[in-house]
Amino acid sequence: MSIRAGITKLARKYNLDSFILVQLVLVVSILVIFLILPISTLLVKAFVHEGHFSIKYFRELFSDPEAIIFPPRGLMIRVETTYRYEILPNGTRILIPEKVIYIGKMGPDFGYLLNSLFVALMVALFSLILGVPTAFIMAKYDFPGKSLFSILLLVPMLATPFVNAFIIGKILGRSGVLNYILFEKLHILPYRIEIAGLPAVILIQTLTFFPIVYLNVYAAIMNIDPSLEEQAENLGAKGFKLFRTITWPLSLPGIAAGLVLVFIFSLEDLGAPIGLSGAFGHGLHQKVISFIIYDEFRKAVGGIAQIYPTTYALAVFLLFIATTGFLSIKKYISLRTYAMMVKGTLLNRRIKRISTIRALAIYVFLIPLVFISSFPQIGTVILALTDWALRIRPPLPSRFTWEYISSLIRDPSVFRAILNSLTYSSIAVIFIILIGTSASYLVARSRIPGRDIIDALVTIPIATPGIIIAVGYLLFFATYFAGTPLSPFNNPGLLLIFTYTIRRLPFTARTVFAGLQQIHVTLEEVSYSLGAGRATTFFRIVLPLIQGNIVGGALLSFVYSMGEVSTSITLSALNPTQGPITFKMSQAIYATAAVGSVCIAAALGVLLMILQIIAISISNYVLKQRVALIGV
Amino acid sequence: MVTVSIRELTKKFGKVIAVNNVTLDINHGEFMVLVGPSGCGKTTLLRLIAGLEVPDHGRILFDGEDVTDLPPYKRDTGMVFQNYALWPHMTVFENIAYGLRIRKVPRNEIKKRVKWALELVKLEGLEDRYPHELSGGQQQRVALARALVVQPKVLLLDEPLSNLDAKLRVEMREEIRRLQKELGITTIYVTHDQEEALTIADRIAVMNMGQIIQVGTPYEVYRRPRNLFVASFLGRCTILWGKVLKVSRDYITVESEGHIFKGIVPSNDIKVHVEEGVALVIRPEDVSLEGDASSCNIVRGVVDWISFSGDHLDVKVKINNSRILLTLDADADINVGERMTIYIPYDSVLILPAKGVYEVAYAKEL
Repeated sequence: MSIRAGITKLARKYNLDSFILVQLVLVVSILVIFLILPISTLLVKAFVHEGHFSIKYFRELFSDPEAIIFPPRGLMIRVETTYRYEILPNGTRILIPEKVIYIGKMGPDFGYLLNSLFVALMVALFSLILGVPTAFIMAKYDFPGKSLFSILLLVPMLATPFVNAFIIGKILGRSGVLNYILFEKLHILPYRIEIAGLPAVILIQTLTFFPIVYLNVYAAIMNIDPSLEEQAENLGAKGFKLFRTITWPLSLPGIAAGLVLVFIFSLEDLGAPIGLSGAFGHGLHQKVISFIIYDEFRKAVGGIAQIYPTTYALAVFLLFIATTGFLSIKKYISLRTYAMMVKGTLLNRRIKRISTIRALAIYVFLIPLVFISSFPQIGTVILALTDWALRIRPPLPSRFTWEYISSLIRDPSVFRAILNSLTYSSIAVIFIILIGTSASYLVARSRIPGRDIIDALVTIPIATPGIIIAVGYLLFFATYFAGTPLSPFNNPGLLLIFTYTIRRLPFTARTVFAGLQQIHVTLEEVSYSLGAGRATTFFRIVLPLIQGNIVGGALLSFVYSMGEVSTSITLSALNPTQGPITFKMSQAIYATAAVGSVCIAAALGVLLMILQIIAISISNYVLKQRVALIGV
Repeated sequence: MVTVSIRELTKKFGKVIAVNNVTLDINHGEFMVLVGPSGCGKTTLLRLIAGLEVPDHGRILFDGEDVTDLPPYKRDTGMVFQNYALWPHMTVFENIAYGLRIRKVPRNEIKKRVKWALELVKLEGLEDRYPHELSGGQQQRVALARALVVQPKVLLLDEPLSNLDAKLRVEMREEIRRLQKELGITTIYVTHDQEEALTIADRIAVMNMGQIIQVGTPYEVYRRPRNLFVASFLGRCTILWGKVLKVSRDYITVESEGHIFKGIVPSNDIKVHVEEGVALVIRPEDVSLEGDASSCNIVRGVVDWISFSGDHLDVKVKINNSRILLTLDADADINVGERMTIYIPYDSVLILPAKGVYEVAYAKEL
């Protein structure tokens, strides 16, 4: 047998042809250069000391007295007397003593390693408490106003990075709205209350992330074949027994997936620590892994040698926890499972109408939940459109203004940030479509060995902390591409295109894969039998049938690229002129002293929210289903 | 028109051997039906011929030319799937024209040929409809037209009628048979429906567990099944177990259920020996209430079960521990418990070696 015949035979065996090969090379090269190599470089940096494998940096990390503090330092609740100026009508200023209950300001402090884990566990726990009942109510009952609630429950998912935390901080601060109303005006509270530190981080993250648990559990319940419950009822199970024996166990995978994702998102979150820094300045809210790595980045402006390698060890520690979490739920977040879940939603649902009293009970739960959890979004709009930020006593807005919204166009640096974001996200989306579609097609249709690895690689970015990718890029590209356009010191913007590509790839890959799963493979096989090759069949048959999925997925990828935080704010710090919207927002909240800058951040937040609403609505319409439920 | 030769073809999926060392020759313009229970490997064999699966071993030849390593799009086959696989984003015209466009047929010619194909399947005037606007039967015809319009070397049909209702199924199979004869295309047709196989085929290949058990004309495989699997899979029959008493030139004498039967082997190369355990296969339509005593087995028994089937009655007559199935006129006046004498011609009792008995699991419960 000649070599040529051998190659032909092998190609036939694995269904390889030039088209598949091009896709494979494209997908693998992008994933290797922009995901695997940067993270490998990080691993090498953390584990190699003077040319040898070493756990020196980890030993140093764990022996840092600030890393692990057990038992925790500081009291969680502490009452202190403070003094506040009051100006009397005659103009004299007097000091009034007031008791203030500080929650979280002085403690607890477990050290930054444990603080992160503690916060993430608490956020997961509270998300469970809020998300699971919500999901069961929404999936199982019909009550007046349900469709309105189903929309309102998505409001907390609209990302307004930093601003949301800033607003919560302002509300819960010593002279914030809550104290003004409850203590000063209504006298309901006997003392002023201030919530700060880790409890504030937990509160903000819970409000932001509980919808992820809700949506996952909701999807899981909706995917339970109704005949399973009907069968159980037929055999005599009902009420709580039915719930305990059938519904609950079948929705456990959704709960597990939601919880792990929330846990990971909390670990990597920078929005809450930075936003709270804007509201409270320095404090315990900054003593979490993600913020410490972020803070180290500012040293990198002087070159990567400025960063002490324990930071890499810290990043690897974070990566280790996130990866462990990802592996524990991998079964539920691979492309294949996602496609299955999408399919399931076509079943006929069993939804119960309920009595007025029960409906009232549901309102008592849902209305405060929706109101409180969407306050960051409401607050962002108020902050952007009024003088709220400038008002201290009373801390309430007094007049409407277009000033901040118009500065989106008038202020050149703000406008440039918007243009930067649009540019990076648009180019990233082109890559995402190419790679996401190719990867999904390879996983769904080819017979190449190792396509499960591709499946894993395009889904793992969901659970990879952005800050890890940022550190990896900094190390890899600063080391091996110094002086080239790909150097993070020259063009962080160019690298951001690729961090967006990698981080937002899963949205498109999943929707496209779901689309491919819904096309019967015989549609393509007929085309082959009629003489059309792989490429022709792909462009004439497959592409027209999945174009909706591509558009839907790409819109989500686009809008979540616009709102990307971790890599945007870290890499841009190396060259601020190339910073995107979120970088500008973080600067406005955290780094700039001017009061009005917060309002510009809020205006940018409003812009992001509008883009998200548009993209998600179109996406839902095109995909005829709820947005990518797992791992938003 | 081509011949299709399959040589020692084997295909495994993991540990499951879907097609096991199959060799089969299909002649010019022949209508070959692959029939067998689900999971027997018939669809896999068809897909191997189409090039949609790659064999682990063996060759496939079209007119003597080896196509084993050719991808599906270079094999020039026309394929019709069970789900029709019409492209939802294309009209009927576009669906049918697709193969011609791929072949870069000039526009005018395409119009002419699509018109021809639509006339062939009697769907003139539906060019601009989309698949979802058609009935199941119409969709089936479009799928057929799409495969035929390119005048493929081989037409491959994978259970094309199983999504249609019973009446339409009968209509369409006559239609497919007519078209195939008219165009003379070598055709391979997969079905699990034995009745469909018998009515439509020039020859039938009966498959089980990845292997071809018997190939022959419908008459051959039905009247002269070479083993119990084929006998019990195609049509209905009674199987009795017995022991050979005597082998003579004309008949074989067997003792079964306390009776002496005379019967024949389906083919001269099948040998049975005295004392050997054998199976007796009797088709219900061969059993009657009267006959020539010199050429018939005469058995007495008791009517055990009667079932009304519209145009006839199915009756089971109990002899000893077994029951023999026969069909009677619908208005025959009989009752359960009646004594009955039945006549079975010697030529209608097939004697088969009892080995491979486990395959009879597929036989219908009698």
